[in-house]
Amino acid sequence: MRQKRTKNLFWNQQQKIAPYLFIAPFYLLFVIFMGYPLISSLVMSLYEMRGFQSRIFVGIGNFTDLFRDPIFWKSLRNTAYFAVGTLTLQLPIALLLAILLNSKFVKGKNILRLAFFAPVLVAGVFVAIIFNLVYDQRAGLVNQEFVLFGKEIGWLNEEQYVMPAVILTGVWQWAGFNMIYFLAGLQGIRQELYEAAAVDGANWWQAFLHVTLPSLRPVIAFVFVVSMIGSLQLFDLPFILTNGGEPADAGSTIVMYLYKNGFQFMRLGYAATIGWVLFFIIAVISIVQLKLLGIFRDE
Amino acid sequence: MFRLPIDSESFPLGKGPMVMLILFLVSTLFIFGRSEKEGENLEFWIFANTHYEEYQARVPIFEAQNPGVNVQLINFGGTMHDKLLAAMLSNFGAPDLVEVEITSIGRFLKGAIDEVGFVDLRPRLESEGWMEKLVVSRFTPWSYRGRIFGIPHDLHPVVLLYRDDLFKAAGVEMTEIETWDDFIAVGKKATRDLDGDGEVDQYAIVLDRRTESDYFSLLLQQGGGFFDEAGNVIIDSELAIETLEFFVSLFNEHKIATPVYGTWHGDPSNFAAMQDGKILSILSPDWYVGILKSQVPQMSGKWKAIAMPAWYPGGRRTTTRGGTMIGITKQCENPDLAWEVLKFTYFDRPGLVNRYETTRIIPPLKSAWDAPIFKEPDVYLGGQPLGELFIELAPNMPPRYQNPYWSEGADLLNDAIFAAVTEKQTPREALTDLAEKVRALMAKDRGRWGDL
Repeated sequence: MRQKRTKNLFWNQQQKIAPYLFIAPFYLLFVIFMGYPLISSLVMSLYEMRGFQSRIFVGIGNFTDLFRDPIFWKSLRNTAYFAVGTLTLQLPIALLLAILLNSKFVKGKNILRLAFFAPVLVAGVFVAIIFNLVYDQRAGLVNQEFVLFGKEIGWLNEEQYVMPAVILTGVWQWAGFNMIYFLAGLQGIRQELYEAAAVDGANWWQAFLHVTLPSLRPVIAFVFVVSMIGSLQLFDLPFILTNGGEPADAGSTIVMYLYKNGFQFMRLGYAATIGWVLFFIIAVISIVQLKLLGIFRDE
Repeated sequence: MFRLPIDSESFPLGKGPMVMLILFLVSTLFIFGRSEKEGENLEFWIFANTHYEEYQARVPIFEAQNPGVNVQLINFGGTMHDKLLAAMLSNFGAPDLVEVEITSIGRFLKGAIDEVGFVDLRPRLESEGWMEKLVVSRFTPWSYRGRIFGIPHDLHPVVLLYRDDLFKAAGVEMTEIETWDDFIAVGKKATRDLDGDGEVDQYAIVLDRRTESDYFSLLLQQGGGFFDEAGNVIIDSELAIETLEFFVSLFNEHKIATPVYGTWHGDPSNFAAMQDGKILSILSPDWYVGILKSQVPQMSGKWKAIAMPAWYPGGRRTTTRGGTMIGITKQCENPDLAWEVLKFTYFDRPGLVNRYETTRIIPPLKSAWDAPIFKEPDVYLGGQPLGELFIELAPNMPPRYQNPYWSEGADLLNDAIFAAVTEKQTPREALTDLAEKVRALMAKDRGRWGDL
């Protein structure tokens, strides 16, 4: 009798514990690889390292230093420049490609979709190496065309051309990827809506404005937010393309500046501060974007 | 017949998860089941491919001479310094021996001197008499506060490589120049618009205005630097300002210099400009000759070399650029054995001769300089014995004092040079601003920590 009761107790307990055990691996990994580093970096942002073993509490000193740091502001400006360039250039191109490749009139759609998507399969490091050759001042593909107009542009050598070069590279790499999201969104729009619009006398442009765009709103919001976050985290492309952000920090981004402080200058506390400031910037911009795009609306 | 107690049909989650589970178990067994080789094991981290290839050939000889010793070479490439930093921060996982690049060593010297992650090699060098056998000025990049944390891999003397054919076509005999004033005079003759379209087709020299590389080489040649031996900032000294004024004048006043094509001297764009005859000379350390040979072999026979022009008659005719050290980390459990490996890879004459043969790198060990290979004619330089020129210049290498704030300083120096060349600031303003920034940074840290 006693044995049976013990067994029942075990089963009862097991039923209670089992769900927690099943989800435990996720939480365990989250705590080790996300929770601990996050808290640790927040604590670190309040300290400054001195060499490998010692550190000193500086409170909000790193934050006040950061807001007075001209290279941080320049990196922030460059990052914002890239983000705006991405949103205003890359996303319309991606949408245009999606519309073209969704239309009945284009042939070889699958091949073209693959071709436009393919750049995203290339690692960022290789993209930078390839575009180093494309922007080559003497023999690069881009200058081969511009040379016709008598100008040999130092794309990666002149301050004013560096970020446009990075933005154009980003367009090549990511427009096809975002095209896939838009394509999925376009294919999800019910045909009856277009038919109804046609009955009402809408032309192609009016149908696009009043049917396609409103129907794509959740997809556009998603792509906007994800692209913005990706843009704000930009690092490898300009780092390799400009050989560390030069000249005159024209290619420096927030994450690049974070990397330099953490790994090249051994200022880990300051680097952690940059990381947290970046986190807040991303969080605020994402929330504002989602609000503006009406994602929080009930309907 | 042996049968597994479970098969893919009866595995609760299906075939796919079962295969994944088996792969996971097998790889786990493989990773954790590996036994270390018996005997003494040493780990040696490298970041440069050419060095790795050299040690791959040399280390087996050491292992054969020392049975029971296993030296594991690991080439991490460009990410090695970051991995080393992480290993030293966590006080776990650092190698026994490691090579560090000259622009990266500063960050490893931050903090209290006793907390630096490398063993001080001065006592060993002095007790075994190695200091006298090596070029003493080359210890300065690897020394701080009287301690020597690394042995120099190289000297990296700099010469002026030039296109003999194109200078001669301009009526210039480069072997006759002695000073930078001479160079400016001949440079003006050689910098020409060949087709009369109003655009310069060939420049006397290519210089990097994006980074400190060329300017800092010129400053070192004059005996200047960013920091002095005591760690004070001297980048706003009159010497540094005059050097930057001279550097800027080559672009803007004398108009004989072109900015480097692409992002650095080793950029394919720069090589293309060389092949087009747009660049007539370049300040070249020994290692850069190796790069030219491998990247533009078609230019063989077109280059010649002379000692760098001096700042005044009889002045120093060379400088130094780049460098690598080898160090023993404090995490090494057998520093005596690591020291033996170090000596074998850095002080062994046949190895150093082989190094020159493959990379054109001149060793800092003076006794190796009389090897016949250094006197051999170099086909790439039209038969000129380049090694002889490098060795002639090697004893005059300027010191380059190391400092924990070098990385921050160099990053800001890049900006200052660019600002001066593009005339956003005068050289004086650019360097004064820079020095103030670095001094402020050091003062802030001193305020937090006390003595740096």
